[in-house]
Amino acid sequence: MIESRGVPTVTLGLVRHHLVATAPPRALFVPFVLGRPLGEPEDAAFQTRVLRHALGLLERRDGPVIIEDFATDAPSHRARSGWELGIVLPGGTADAAGVAREIAAVMPYWHRAVARFGRSTVGITSIEPADMVGALAPYLAGGPVESPVAGLVPALALRFIADDLKAFYSEAAQAEGEHPGAGQVDRWFWSETLAGQFLVALRRAGMASADNAIRAFATRFLVPVPFLPEGEPR
Amino acid sequence: MARIEDIPEPTRSAVLGLAIAGFATQPFVAGPPLSSRRVAVITSAALHRRGEAPFQPGSAEVRLLPSAVPAVDLVMSHVSINYDRSGWQRDINTIYPLDRLRELAAAGVIGAVADTHFAVMGSTDPATMAETADQIVGQLRQERSDAVLLSPV
Repeated sequence: MIESRGVPTVTLGLVRHHLVATAPPRALFVPFVLGRPLGEPEDAAFQTRVLRHALGLLERRDGPVIIEDFATDAPSHRARSGWELGIVLPGGTADAAGVAREIAAVMPYWHRAVARFGRSTVGITSIEPADMVGALAPYLAGGPVESPVAGLVPALALRFIADDLKAFYSEAAQAEGEHPGAGQVDRWFWSETLAGQFLVALRRAGMASADNAIRAFATRFLVPVPFLPEGEPR
Repeated sequence: MARIEDIPEPTRSAVLGLAIAGFATQPFVAGPPLSSRRVAVITSAALHRRGEAPFQPGSAEVRLLPSAVPAVDLVMSHVSINYDRSGWQRDINTIYPLDRLRELAAAGVIGAVADTHFAVMGSTDPATMAETADQIVGQLRQERSDAVLLSPV
């Protein structure tokens, strides 16, 4: 759409099937996990290799469709055996009080992560991590809910607070040590934390909501299907 | 993954089953040498400034991302929950490589990094985005940016 308006483009592509179907002017298929088009975090040399290959296609004249393949996997494409999680979780039950205690226990690691990376991706809404479980708890009752975020309907507030909660844990899990492979943090969150169980319970409650939007968001946009426990509706 | 065999179900089936209309034409625009191009990024990661309203699912809008906006001010409100976010949490260049582009500009590989970049919502139907494309190209022309890197998630 940009090229047809006269500006040259090159696209990175994470799904080769889609590149072939869309037939863009210039594309570099990159065999990395979804969510990592440059391949490897904190590896400037690797990212630069990807970029130089892609941008080099802008000098080609043999269009109208050029699709090339980047031949190298990202180093953390697979799980890393060296990754060790430093967080000690307090345990307990996955109710609001239990999750609040867990968040308090995770908080120091999150502060360390923010210092380590110089930023946080938490903050889609203005609700602070310590207040997230309180904002989400009313959704568990399954009845009508007043949105805890001004300007967002209840379903979107649920979704984005949950995103921020996941990011809080994910960043905290990376506060120390070698970086994890793609997917390792998610597996920990959904299998080990009370917050993960809490979101599964929110999904179950949301799927029974009278609010169509909450039902839709709870079903599809809270818990990735590969991490749903046995017996949860798909 | 994105070798297709690495994408877990049901995302794999959704990716393979996605109806892709393709484009009616195959435009191919030549340009000057890379070393004199001004390069802009379009990310479909639904990035925006902290404090702004999140992207709505299915939104066709574009958010302008001035180069000067630091990484610490950006958050992501993409609709999908089925991709890795740990990489972006560690290093924004994993999805939005402005630091790498600045290095390439300093090394003379590209001419310059554009003053403005663009964020859209991935998974929105491109058929709804003609006006968005007009808006992006208008901004590119105003700044004389003459190369675009599209970065999906």
